[in-house]
Amino acid sequence: MPCEHYKDALIEVAASGATPSGELYAHLDACTSCRDAFVEEQTLFAAIDSGLHTAANTEVPVSLLPRVRARLDEAITTQRHWIQPLGFASAGVALAFLLLLIVRPHGNVPNNVPKQTPAAPTPMAPAAGTHIEISPSSIQVASTTPNLLHTPRTSTVKHSAASSHPEILVPPDEREGLAQLVAMLNQHKDFAAAFLAPRPEKKDALVTVDPLLISDLEIKPLEGTETETSDGTGERH
Amino acid sequence: MQELVLNQPVSTARSELVREAAQADARREFEERLAECGPLAFRVARGVLRNTADAEDVAQEALLRAYKSFHRLRDRSRFRGWLVRISFRVALDRLRSAKRREQRDTLWAKPEHLPPVASAEEIAASKQFQGHLDRALEELPEKLRLVLLLSAMDGYTIEEISSMMGVPLGTVKSRIFIARKKLAEKLRCHANTIKMR
Repeated sequence: MPCEHYKDALIEVAASGATPSGELYAHLDACTSCRDAFVEEQTLFAAIDSGLHTAANTEVPVSLLPRVRARLDEAITTQRHWIQPLGFASAGVALAFLLLLIVRPHGNVPNNVPKQTPAAPTPMAPAAGTHIEISPSSIQVASTTPNLLHTPRTSTVKHSAASSHPEILVPPDEREGLAQLVAMLNQHKDFAAAFLAPRPEKKDALVTVDPLLISDLEIKPLEGTETETSDGTGERH
Repeated sequence: MQELVLNQPVSTARSELVREAAQADARREFEERLAECGPLAFRVARGVLRNTADAEDVAQEALLRAYKSFHRLRDRSRFRGWLVRISFRVALDRLRSAKRREQRDTLWAKPEHLPPVASAEEIAASKQFQGHLDRALEELPEKLRLVLLLSAMDGYTIEEISSMMGVPLGTVKSRIFIARKKLAEKLRCHANTIKMR
């Protein structure tokens, strides 16, 4: 066992790799146990350094650098594979967008397309004895949330082409009322004819207002009142 | 619009050429450093993992990461220190995940029912000390461990380590001193093993 007083000092000296000097050197010269302890410490640090050196200087595998180069090549190729399709894809998207911009004005349809599709009866003069028939089956119930913008244009066209009857889009809450109206119209043909009769067209004419005619005015003093005059000085006469 | 459509492929091709040229330059510059710094990355990883195959994998990974981020390194003279830190970090991650895996495997395998496995390396005294040293090294704080590993490598002076790590010379010296003392404290009880060597 080393002397407690010199224990830390000899560890410090052994750790730093220096040679003991001064008081410590004199003590080591005199104390055998401390000298043995110092040799042990030196051996321990030498073993640590040796072990560290072995661990830190392992032979580098020959395959390391070629493998790294291969992985670098692979990484570059992968990157290129990603970048090229990405470039083409973005160019394609841009081109498609441009084409869309060009084509769009030609195919533009007003937003009220579905409003036209019911094929509301145009004011046409029904020929005498025209048989008006509105079948309830031709009434198309509109959804509760009609999305007019997303209504497919072709679907109504196809439907109209398929049946010769006029189609009316009716919200569900008005369906019953319309069915009653249709039934009534089928019973009273004259009402239907009146509905479909053309309105007398009125041409817009300039509205003229006749000048206001006022008969001659006669001014009379009120009976039982005195005439008041003022001369501008505030005095009444 | 016509002009745009006609010019687009030309500009794309030009930017592609510029990009490829820059990539080739970066690759060349990286290659110049690879021969010198590849072994360093491996040794740092080996110092942490104590396994050659794992260290090689980690070194490859670290070098690949370094290459991918090479354009971000403005001061190219700091490449070595930068690579050392990457390698050390990747190696530590690998070590931690390996430990987690080992713990999981141990838990599943229920080792209390298995006979203790003793390798020939563990039985041999010199290898035994190396095992103790490795474990003691593993318990060191990261800063101390990295500096100690670099100082133990051939070809790196304390001044070089100081510039590589971007820390003052005195800090490097004190870290080495503290690290060695800590190792000695842990290994003192195995001093008899040293005598056997």
